[in-house]
Amino acid sequence: MLKKRLIFTLLYNQGQFMLSRNFRLQSVGDITWLQKNYNFSKISFSIDELIVLDVSRGERNTESFCDALKTLSKGCFVPIAAGGGVNTVEKARDLLRSGADKVVINTALYVEDGFISELASEFGEQCIVASMDVKNMGDNGYKVFSEDGSKSINASAKEWVKFVSNNAIGEIYLNSIDRDGTGQGYDMHLLDLLCEDISKPVILAGGAGNALHLAEGLSDLRVDAVATAHLFNFVGDGLKKARHSIIENGVELPVWNDRLLNKN
Amino acid sequence: MKSSNIVVIDYGMGNLWSVLNAFHYLDYEPIVTHDPDVIACAKTLILPGVGSFRKAMVSLRKTGIDQAINDAVLDNGSKILGICLGMQLMGNKSYEDGETLGLGLIPQSVDRFSSDEIGSNKIPHIGFNSVHSLSDSKLFRGIPSAADFYFVHSYRMLANGLTGKAATCNYGSEFLAAYEKNNIFATQFHPEKSQTNGLLLLKNFLAQ
Repeated sequence: MLKKRLIFTLLYNQGQFMLSRNFRLQSVGDITWLQKNYNFSKISFSIDELIVLDVSRGERNTESFCDALKTLSKGCFVPIAAGGGVNTVEKARDLLRSGADKVVINTALYVEDGFISELASEFGEQCIVASMDVKNMGDNGYKVFSEDGSKSINASAKEWVKFVSNNAIGEIYLNSIDRDGTGQGYDMHLLDLLCEDISKPVILAGGAGNALHLAEGLSDLRVDAVATAHLFNFVGDGLKKARHSIIENGVELPVWNDRLLNKN
Repeated sequence: MKSSNIVVIDYGMGNLWSVLNAFHYLDYEPIVTHDPDVIACAKTLILPGVGSFRKAMVSLRKTGIDQAINDAVLDNGSKILGICLGMQLMGNKSYEDGETLGLGLIPQSVDRFSSDEIGSNKIPHIGFNSVHSLSDSKLFRGIPSAADFYFVHSYRMLANGLTGKAATCNYGSEFLAAYEKNNIFATQFHPEKSQTNGLLLLKNFLAQ
């Protein structure tokens, strides 16, 4: 049977890895810090997937980002999705040649210029992760934001989620702007934005502060994977412990035998 | 690091770095090329894959890589491992984006998961799923008969009655997860993204 997934999301900003709270960024450390505190570059048994996003405000340097991706992906044998400002096939190809297996698209989802179809006809729709940043506007319902959460998109979030999920994409990454980095737990109401007959896998993100939050997200039938980007909450062996706790909570995650490969 | 005669075929669409990472971990340094002459002479070929079938086949034909692969595999007996789209390209034909002929190394066609097959499951099939291998499989030597591997695909080959079936996976119903016959090997999943299970499978392939 298909297992659920635990995803770690890394936010990259001009050489630094960031902690985000309601989309305000705080620098945590460079790649050396990351490798010291998280072992993604050795075989990782704590996560099922890595997402790396270039959230650099202002101009992005694709070359440096690709270099960071290459370093991160060395020795990391779980799938990696990468993105941030991807709006051309060439940029997507650069990421796929630097360690990414899938490409994350956000702002370009809301521009109806045929780019998503072009990307899908090149790499297949299974290669495209549609990342949607959503905010609870109280009485005004949920709204979708593009450009790193800075630009509100007209029409309701529910309509956009329907539009995006019918587009040529592989999976949907639903991220709560108001829960982002708070550690208060996921906004489970985000899942009500999904059409009942949604046929694409759903990743829930924004707000997880501990293993129970991750397990709560994964226990919902509509959720295929949960993501956390909290660099401080899971430092050291935090992810490994969280994984054990999720499995103890009855969620089926993939299992590996780390002694299977006997390197001579 | 062992310099080897492992050639990773670069047709502009694969997740090349990921595939190379896995071989580097196993202490091999593959050659990455799109040169048909190098491919035709290779002893070990890897056909990786992220992309759409039609675009990939057009690219393989335009560059003459299709012929080079067949020369190496069918005439010289070189071994080949197709991964994900790479496996599908080795099939007879695919119905992705219209009907397109494949390399014909695996006598099976590639079709989209139908809603009858998958039931309430979603398309694409993304994530780690349990792969059930046959006990005499060379690729799966030392790997538990039910082991998790990473899939990301919307198209599949069926396993029914196929000689060379090495492993199957169940996603609503059964499909072909891995194929092996003589010098021809293929996996629908990504061994380079499946932790130790995948690394051991690649090691087994190289040992053939």
